[in-house]
Amino acid sequence: MNLFNIHLPVAGIEFSAVLLVLIGFCVGVLGGFFGVGGGWMITPALNIFGFHMAFAIGTPLANIFGQSIGAVRKHHRMGNIDWKLGLISIITSVLGVEIGSRVIIALEKAGDVGVIVRWCYIFLLSILGVYMLYDYFVVHPRLMKLAEEEAANAVSPGVTGAARISDRLHKITIPPMISFPASGIEGVSLWIILLVFLLTGFLSGFMGVGGGFIILPVLVYLIGLPTTIAVGTSLVTVLFTAAYGCFTYALKGRVELVAAFIMLVGASIGAQIGATAVKYIKGYGIRLLFAIMIILAGFSVLTEQFYKATGKPLFQTLAGIVLMGTALAMSVIIIGRLKLESQKEKSVSGK
Amino acid sequence: MSAKKAIGLLFFCLLFVSTPGNSFARDAAEKESTALNQKVQTSRLSGINLWIAETYNSERTLYAITVTIVMAALGTSLAFLTDLVLKALGLEVSRISHRE
Repeated sequence: MNLFNIHLPVAGIEFSAVLLVLIGFCVGVLGGFFGVGGGWMITPALNIFGFHMAFAIGTPLANIFGQSIGAVRKHHRMGNIDWKLGLISIITSVLGVEIGSRVIIALEKAGDVGVIVRWCYIFLLSILGVYMLYDYFVVHPRLMKLAEEEAANAVSPGVTGAARISDRLHKITIPPMISFPASGIEGVSLWIILLVFLLTGFLSGFMGVGGGFIILPVLVYLIGLPTTIAVGTSLVTVLFTAAYGCFTYALKGRVELVAAFIMLVGASIGAQIGATAVKYIKGYGIRLLFAIMIILAGFSVLTEQFYKATGKPLFQTLAGIVLMGTALAMSVIIIGRLKLESQKEKSVSGK
Repeated sequence: MSAKKAIGLLFFCLLFVSTPGNSFARDAAEKESTALNQKVQTSRLSGINLWIAETYNSERTLYAITVTIVMAALGTSLAFLTDLVLKALGLEVSRISHRE
């Protein structure tokens, strides 16, 4: 491994270039496929492998910015981006982030907020993950069965029990109403959209995360977007957030350029593969994998919390292994499915 | 993408960067930057590494601009190249139907 070690001039450490490319590749695949940034994975991974925490926070943002450009371009070509909704989400989320950050600052004055934030993280990831699994295994099959039985008044395959939350929200007709033709949404109160993104922004600011993993389920379940459009639109938010983060963290001296550059080699390739996989995997397949991923991410935060509470390094190591293992396993599954489904498609079109 | 759309995007980007909503990130960066005010040792460095370290030490704004431009340029170029490879492998993408 020493053969591939390189000197990182700003961080002042030796680091494996292979490891950087591998971390970048995994994050790229997940980012392109799920529409998330992946900072939740890179930061602890870099820190565990020897990066100073200051660089472990700033460097991933530079990497996420670079990888998101190609992924957004690809999703745009596939018609997976609702630009109108994406831009509204960016502006509104900013206000939410401000409120969330002010709450955090107020809480900081009262004492240690790390524990509160971690438990919020665990709670949110678990609830979202379990709900998505419930939707996949219980609600969706039930509705499919219903749709078959009631062919005359069929339930649209895209409409799940969970998506009906969005239907209920769409029935609130407080003006002004706004439509999102790219997402197939004919009319929804602008206030609902603003409130939803204010909430996601608040959670991002409160928990100090980019928020891709919150935005995706919100777009699917509360706004009622098809999963693939939710992935692409979520990536737009990630791109803008990361662009700003890249510049400002570099200005503060927290980005290790050489490391970000090498990671981006893997990440750009991974992001293209991840975005391409969206074409071949059905929306519900994406939701299932996402649910599993965030539950495991929540478990990792839980073990990190145990480490903070007990001081036993074993828990910290376990948290790192779970995170890296999850990212690696998900990347393998996504690439495997991409290969399988594309071969199926080729064989069908060849007949 | 049309020029009009590109200008619109640029406008939103600038709006986003200039909004007070990002004070959390700024605050966090501010706190961390106090610990990073030390200069990078350049005595053993040469070539591009030396230039990066010197820019980091003396021209932080230029360093930030360089990082942002390099990331954007590399991200775009690699995406383009990977796209070509994927196309050659038969994994070309076009507008898809949004099935659940």
